[in-house]
Amino acid sequence: MKRFLILTKAMTLMHLRNGYVLFWNFAFPVLLMFIYGAIMSQFMDYMTPGVIVLNALSFGLVSSSTMMLEMREKSVLRRLQATPLPAGHLVGSYLLVNIIIGILQSTLIIATGALLYKVPVSAASLLLAYPMILAGLLAFMALGGIISGAVAKSGAASAIGMTVYFSLMFISDMIFPLDMLPGWLQNVVPYLPAYPVTQLVRSALLDASLDANWVSHFVLLVTYGAGAMLIAAKLFRWEPKA
Amino acid sequence: MSQTMIDVRNLTAAYGSLTALNGVNLTVAKGEIFGLLGPNGAGKTTLLANVEGLHKPKQGEVHVGGISVQTDAAAAKRQLGIQLQKTALLDDLTVAELVEVYAALYEVYLTSKEIDALLARFDLVEKRNTLARRLSGGQQQRLALAVAIANDPQIVLLDEPTSALDPHARRAVWDVIRQLHDEGRTIVLTTHSMEEAEALCGRIAIIDRGQIVACDTPSALIANLQLNSMLKATVELPLEQVRTLPEVSNARYTGQHLEVETARPEVTLTALHELAARSGRSIRDVMLRQPNLEDVFLKLTGHALAESN
Repeated sequence: MKRFLILTKAMTLMHLRNGYVLFWNFAFPVLLMFIYGAIMSQFMDYMTPGVIVLNALSFGLVSSSTMMLEMREKSVLRRLQATPLPAGHLVGSYLLVNIIIGILQSTLIIATGALLYKVPVSAASLLLAYPMILAGLLAFMALGGIISGAVAKSGAASAIGMTVYFSLMFISDMIFPLDMLPGWLQNVVPYLPAYPVTQLVRSALLDASLDANWVSHFVLLVTYGAGAMLIAAKLFRWEPKA
Repeated sequence: MSQTMIDVRNLTAAYGSLTALNGVNLTVAKGEIFGLLGPNGAGKTTLLANVEGLHKPKQGEVHVGGISVQTDAAAAKRQLGIQLQKTALLDDLTVAELVEVYAALYEVYLTSKEIDALLARFDLVEKRNTLARRLSGGQQQRLALAVAIANDPQIVLLDEPTSALDPHARRAVWDVIRQLHDEGRTIVLTTHSMEEAEALCGRIAIIDRGQIVACDTPSALIANLQLNSMLKATVELPLEQVRTLPEVSNARYTGQHLEVETARPEVTLTALHELAARSGRSIRDVMLRQPNLEDVFLKLTGHALAESN
């Protein structure tokens, strides 16, 4: 346990000392809120949960794996592999730090929404929203884990992650309501990973209630998350692809 | 008989269809500084990777401190201190944090005092709060060595510990390696520098194209092959006459310099002086080069170490 704590402290320090991580993880989500607030301030109730999910999506698919990919490319993981540290401890410690970062990002977005745009939040809504955000983060990070395991270079992982992110961002009811989409797409989107998170977070945060279809949303999300975690674990590599 | 710390038996390792090691056998005894000498791509790093448990062999077995790397990798890794060829540490951490973390990975928990004592040995105490990525090349190399022994291992594996270092930094690292040896640790290092192998290693395995072609002390390697010395002098004499001098196996001119290969340089030099006197010539700039590991490498592999690199 002591080893895990020391490693987690080291991972935290590494994230906090990295300018890229600080900007994209802490400054950018707030910036996003300012941008959406400037464009459509009257819709910020609807937008805030959407921004939480789209931020969690980009974080899970791209940002959360950046440092792991860097460590892999610079042979830092290989050096760690030469120690008796079990892979599970390394991944667990890294995930823990990134989950905390993901939760902090969502907190910053909620705080910005509540303080600047009067988005109505209560203790009850927060209590319900955070588990939904956490479930979404885990599923998105697991999907990001598949991308990092499958590709050779961090640049390629980032490009694939961003492509998936932008594809899901516009169709998953985060920014544009579902009924704005063509009929065939409206039938497909509910089965994609970001949509259920959006529904779960939105009803939790704005209404302090569970979405009418929360069971099916949750089952779908857990299926995505668990399936992706298994595949990501299978694809995990200590070294870059030759 | 001294205790065997590393035992490599019939090791064959491959990357896809490329065979990197082919039937390697090797034992390293407690307290040795053992060198793996060979050109880039010879298989030195692959051999270390198999000892470190970083590469799965196609065939064969490796034991460290009596523990099988294949069946109990975690326990085997606990015996080892490692420095990889590429200094790949968590470089957003400070020097002191790095030592603390890498020791903890072996479940060795150092106090602040112990960390400073370790850093003092590597002349890094003043840098304890500096981020690793801000250190110079020599300092990073010393840090990698400090990290390698943070878990107080009995066996230390160093992959090209002085590559890309200037001569001053290189000698500082050599001193550290000698200190580690003086403490009774077993050290295995890879190098493609003959000078380094001769300066540090008690025994050397010459490795070429995935095979160990010779393994012994540097002096025995040279003596066993009965290699000739090289006598160099500035003198003008007919080569056909020089070649008939006693103990001479070959002679040639490189520019104005006569180079004579001889089994007994003292005998040849006397005869050379006599020949020069008879011919009315004077000999200047006489130099004698004893056979070294480069000659051994050339003789055993058919190509020069420097050329291969």
